[in-house]
Amino acid sequence: MGPALALENVSKRYGAFQAVQDLSFAVPKGSICGFLGPNGAGKTSTIRMILGLAPVTAGRITILGANDGRKVRDRLGFLPEERGLYRKMTPVDAIAFFAGLKGVPLGEGRRRARVMLEAQGLGASANKKMKDLSKGMAQKVQLIAALAHEPEFVILDEPFSGLDPVNQQGLEVVIREIAANGATVLFSTHVMQHAERLCDKVVLIAGGRKAFEGTVDEARATTPRFLELEGGIPADAVAALPGVASVDIDGQRIRAALKPGASGHDALKAAFVQGLDVRTFQMREPTLHDAFIGLTGADPDQVEARDGEAAR
Amino acid sequence: MTRALLIARREYLAYARTVGFWLSLLALPFFAVLGGAIPILMQRAEPVHMVAMVEAPSDESGALSEGVRRALDEARARRTAEALRTAALSEAGLDGVEAVRRVTEEQGEAAGLAELRRVAPRAGAAYSPPRESIVLVDTPTELQALAEADNARERVAPWFSGDRLLADGEQLDAVVILNRQDDGAPSAVVWAARATDRTVENAVRDALAEVNRREALTTAGVDPGLIRDVDRFRPDVQMFSPASASGGQVALRDSLPGIIGFALGFLLWSLVVTGASMLMNSVMEEKANKVLEVLLSSASSTEILAGKVLGVAALTGTVLLAWGALGAAGFAALIPEIGGDVATVLLKDGLLLYLFAYLAGGYLMYAVIFAAIGAFCETPREAQTLIGPIMMILIAPLLVMQIAMRNPDATVVKVMSWIPFFTPFLMSARAPSGPPLFEILGTIAGMLVTVAAITWLAGRAFRAGALSGVKLEWKSLGRVLKRDR
Repeated sequence: MGPALALENVSKRYGAFQAVQDLSFAVPKGSICGFLGPNGAGKTSTIRMILGLAPVTAGRITILGANDGRKVRDRLGFLPEERGLYRKMTPVDAIAFFAGLKGVPLGEGRRRARVMLEAQGLGASANKKMKDLSKGMAQKVQLIAALAHEPEFVILDEPFSGLDPVNQQGLEVVIREIAANGATVLFSTHVMQHAERLCDKVVLIAGGRKAFEGTVDEARATTPRFLELEGGIPADAVAALPGVASVDIDGQRIRAALKPGASGHDALKAAFVQGLDVRTFQMREPTLHDAFIGLTGADPDQVEARDGEAAR
Repeated sequence: MTRALLIARREYLAYARTVGFWLSLLALPFFAVLGGAIPILMQRAEPVHMVAMVEAPSDESGALSEGVRRALDEARARRTAEALRTAALSEAGLDGVEAVRRVTEEQGEAAGLAELRRVAPRAGAAYSPPRESIVLVDTPTELQALAEADNARERVAPWFSGDRLLADGEQLDAVVILNRQDDGAPSAVVWAARATDRTVENAVRDALAEVNRREALTTAGVDPGLIRDVDRFRPDVQMFSPASASGGQVALRDSLPGIIGFALGFLLWSLVVTGASMLMNSVMEEKANKVLEVLLSSASSTEILAGKVLGVAALTGTVLLAWGALGAAGFAALIPEIGGDVATVLLKDGLLLYLFAYLAGGYLMYAVIFAAIGAFCETPREAQTLIGPIMMILIAPLLVMQIAMRNPDATVVKVMSWIPFFTPFLMSARAPSGPPLFEILGTIAGMLVTVAAITWLAGRAFRAGALSGVKLEWKSLGRVLKRDR
């Protein structure tokens, strides 16, 4: 069984601006894949190429066995980054309309819309006009509109942006359900915590190039773990502890980066044996955020300043 | 294709469900009725002038006031006869008009009204005589010597201000002092309550001219009876033309094609402009709120464009049907004679078929252009700069259509009919007048070729615009078209 999505050496160029360069990755069927990178890294351009909305400048994309997203349009679900729905339609009508475009009969679309709205706690708003819904509600409606035709492959562009923490958690539940039902999910985000909790696999992209592809654990393993110590300890003594690669002083706190494969336990034990004045200590596992900075040298929360951003 | 139909359906319902759509649908018939009613309302609103006449001592015979009185009466009679004739027109046609005119002139107003009731029962029942703007009243005693008084202003002022009223409680609006100049020519001084109201002055001037004419002719020895007969004489002129509808005598029906053509061309023009603008706004809204992006992930740009064009076309069709039904009902109820003639013109020689072709072609041509522009714009302001030149092109046929109404075969009309952008409107205006077949087929062919080319171009522009954040200016249009694959 081949992957649900495969990109091979894909590039996208807008005039003089290279939005995506030589990008390759694959998403196995039924998995949740995070597509991570700062704003402006080329995520939306890549997603548009996957959907067939924009032609690739070079390379090849295979999605659900087709060489063009437009050929398998009805089997894809897409939530764009900037959201909008017909303001004067009711959620039920809007969802049934978009499902209808994907081949679901209108009556069936309406039925599914009601069930899904009910499940998302929007049953009471099913027949209000979209403009009378709150922003969070409207986003849920749009997500449902992208899912009502039960797509095999769901692409969500920055689905968490603009949601409050409660709704973000709700969305995580929804994404897990989609995958549990056998569909494949690719979502882009610049917030690493969501990817950390959700993803079977992550693809990191920066400056239009792939920086990493693998599991979250594999990504984290690319970055050193830390031993954080506080107390009256000289920094060079910490640096001399076994397994410590480098030391970083942050006020009272000393952050000791450990060598790959080294055990924090050994270093701590040595510190106590040497009688260092350790008042508090903490082992810090690296986050995906740390890994991202380590892999790309860029902070994912920052917008990438690249020329030609407007052309994206 | 089902996607296009689904999009068309949504587009149709989105408008058809709004109150504004139905309001604007009814606005045109409403304003048409209002436009017809305004002259009547204006006439109704005109105030009645209570006028007193004073004889100057130089004309003690009273002949001058008698002459003015008679001239005013005759003018009133002419207006009444005109009103009776006009009333007959819609129901009884030109023959009825002629009958009513003859009876009124020969036997007076009452007989004319009876004749109107006979030839046009409905119009006769609804007829009301025109309102008189001037009523001569008995001159109050205090004003009778006004001509000799040197304080005329002080004397008339209380009558105009309402301090003094006429015997029946009405207020006086004007006093006319009639006089003769040294050579005997009639003259007058008019004192009026309102300085801006020239009604009385004009009526008196006309009346005095008439008095002078009669006096001059009588002095020259012409019999007064002869003067009256000469005035009444209406030459019997009949117009014939082999090109007329009857093949002989020319009737109202023969000017109908020109009028109907103008009405149709104008109707088509408003439908196309309204429809195309609606389409542009709809696309622009979807572009602004990013719905277009979701649509594009669900349907091809061709399907989206086709769906939207189709949806608005269905709306336009609805409007057309509604107007057609209202118009037909209006004709049938009020003026069935003319309604029948209009129907004859419309149903002749497959005219409706040509009209449909012009409507479809004109709509499609402008709809896709406007839709493509909408795909590049997120705000009306951006759209404005692009729409401006197109609107200027669209104004031209409106002007030429007015020429076509009177002379459908004028060279300028013929030549401009061949310009595909004007073809739909100008040929609709000309079609009821029966232009040569080669012109009809040729212009339709030219129009269809242009429609195909424009649709192809606009389709590409629409796709490029829908997907890009690029703001379109005319100079970059070509670049965008080339870049898009």
